[in-house]
Amino acid sequence: MLKMEGVQKIYRTDLVQTHALRSLSLEVEEGEFVAVTGPSGSGKTTFLNIAGLLETFDGGRYTLDGKDVSRLSDRERSKIRNVKIGFIFQSFNLIPDLNVYDNVDVPLRYRGLASGERDRRIKEALERVGLASRLKHLPSQLSGGQQQRVAIARALAGSPRILFADEPTGNLDSLMAREVMNMLEEINAQGTTIVMVTHDPELARRMHRNIHIMDGQASDFEDRSDAPVDRIAPRAAAAAPAVG
Amino acid sequence: MFGYYVRLGLRQLRRSPVLTALVIVTLAVGVAASMSTLTVLYMMSSDPIPQKSDRILTLTLDNAPADSDGGEEYRPRGLSWIDVRALREGGFGLRRSGLYGTGGIVEPQKEGVKNFVGDGLAVDRDFFAMMDAQFAQGAAWSADDDRNEARVVVISDTMAEKLYGRENAIGRTLKFNGNELRVVGVLHHWKMLPRFYLLENGGRGGGPGLADQEDLFIPLSTAIATEQDINGNVSCQADAEPGFKGLIASECTFLHYWVELPEGSDRRQWREYLAGYVAQQQQRGRLKRPEPVRDYDVLDWLSYVGVVDDDTRLQTLLAFGFLTVCLVNTVGLLLAKFTARAGEIGVRRALGASRAQIFAQYLIQAGTLGLVGSVLGVALAYLMLHIMATQSPDLEALARMDTLMLVTSVLLSVAAAVIAGLLPTWRATQVVPALQLKSQ
Repeated sequence: MLKMEGVQKIYRTDLVQTHALRSLSLEVEEGEFVAVTGPSGSGKTTFLNIAGLLETFDGGRYTLDGKDVSRLSDRERSKIRNVKIGFIFQSFNLIPDLNVYDNVDVPLRYRGLASGERDRRIKEALERVGLASRLKHLPSQLSGGQQQRVAIARALAGSPRILFADEPTGNLDSLMAREVMNMLEEINAQGTTIVMVTHDPELARRMHRNIHIMDGQASDFEDRSDAPVDRIAPRAAAAAPAVG
Repeated sequence: MFGYYVRLGLRQLRRSPVLTALVIVTLAVGVAASMSTLTVLYMMSSDPIPQKSDRILTLTLDNAPADSDGGEEYRPRGLSWIDVRALREGGFGLRRSGLYGTGGIVEPQKEGVKNFVGDGLAVDRDFFAMMDAQFAQGAAWSADDDRNEARVVVISDTMAEKLYGRENAIGRTLKFNGNELRVVGVLHHWKMLPRFYLLENGGRGGGPGLADQEDLFIPLSTAIATEQDINGNVSCQADAEPGFKGLIASECTFLHYWVELPEGSDRRQWREYLAGYVAQQQQRGRLKRPEPVRDYDVLDWLSYVGVVDDDTRLQTLLAFGFLTVCLVNTVGLLLAKFTARAGEIGVRRALGASRAQIFAQYLIQAGTLGLVGSVLGVALAYLMLHIMATQSPDLEALARMDTLMLVTSVLLSVAAAVIAGLLPTWRATQVVPALQLKSQ
């Protein structure tokens, strides 16, 4: 489903070059639910941004769903993000002045679907996350857990092949976090591949496989009990933006 | 997607209302300033008689002595009575009229109405049909009246109302500069801007070119015979005998001559006729200067006389300069507004919007602001024009915005907003989604 071979990412400023990813190689099979762990500044978020085609990279090769996506135009990358990829963020990233219905509608608009088809998908996705009765609510009128469920509905409405989640429970209390995790497991059980960045070792243990990123390189831990517990590492890559 | 972007554009007006209001007001003030001055320029440059402006012709003759050292600026714009009389007798064209501006005391000969000063025009009977002037009562005087120097007059509807109220004016008499005249016609209010047939002093301020229609019209032959005062420029190329008789026998210029050619006729015939006239006059020792005759249609004439003066052009340029300053401010305000939306742009990019789609969305948002700004701008422009109109009667006729200028205002405002939106929109497309998504 997702294969990276020797992917490198370097952030450059006038004064310093920061190697966020150093020859990162990893593979995620279709239908897997994979946790990406690692200390702060290790390159987890950079990996997720590159995997989600939000950022380009400087070296190596990346194949997504059987297609080499290493060198694509902005339009092609946007199309793949729109059709094949779903995102769930730690801070939900809902558009504050759009109501629940219109937030879920955003990716479908860019896909150019007819209004009837969009309406069906939006209602179906919100039904799945249990928010069908909150169509007209603004994000500010919802709890954190509900906002994250809207974000999940937004990711699901486009029926993506792969879902990237960046610490989706990071801003939620434990009850809501469990609810969101149950929902992601259910989505995965229905066939969607999920790659989730997390700091939480307990959550990581619930997944099929853990990939640990350290200093921009990945190592696999099939036996999840061996997976290193996250710790706050010195911010070696402090100059790099959003390297987490 | 266009409808979706417009809806988003309207929705974003409510967000950051202070910035939105600043953008709209800045645009509106710039548009109002430029459109109000442009309206004046446009009205001054408009074709006063579009249905036949290319068939109504006039001429200038350089009747200065051959050895005169006067340059182009001394070339007379008017004609002498010698030439106008000869051209009228020549009879060329479908309609023709000599004319000069006059004025004097009107004695109403009606109890309760005091004497007053009236503006008049001495013309031939064809003048009314040539200018498409419509009569509310009666008609133009006859050709016989022209020949016989008849004591007749056509008056404006305003004057008829003033003198006779709603009663029939035809057949009544009034005194103009002591001459008793019989009213034969009353004109409907007659809009013509500018009044091209008599543009004195460049048309602006001094002459009646931009003022309202004249109060009364008398036959040119009668005006000459009764020695009616000349209300306009008199330019003498050589000495003249004293008095009105001396003036009309001299080369002094104070008249104009207009000819209407039949539809589909060839202007070359008019030029040949003029060439013939000049040749004939040259045999009599007149018109010996180089290029003694020039002919003009209505638009040529407006341009030659310079009805749009340099002040108006400068004013319009300054107003557009001000609009540019407003645009630069709008760029800054839009930059601030769009920068505040970087988070949303990041989300939209992550969800599949290409740079081109973000560009279209934010440019349409800028256009939406322009559309709202145009409503306020047009309202302000109307207010400015109203204030201009109260400053001077000459400007009153000009300070009117027609449909074309209204549509132009709206388009200018939207275009201005879109142009001002280009840089902020381009910057919006440069948002790195990964940065925004983590930092939200």
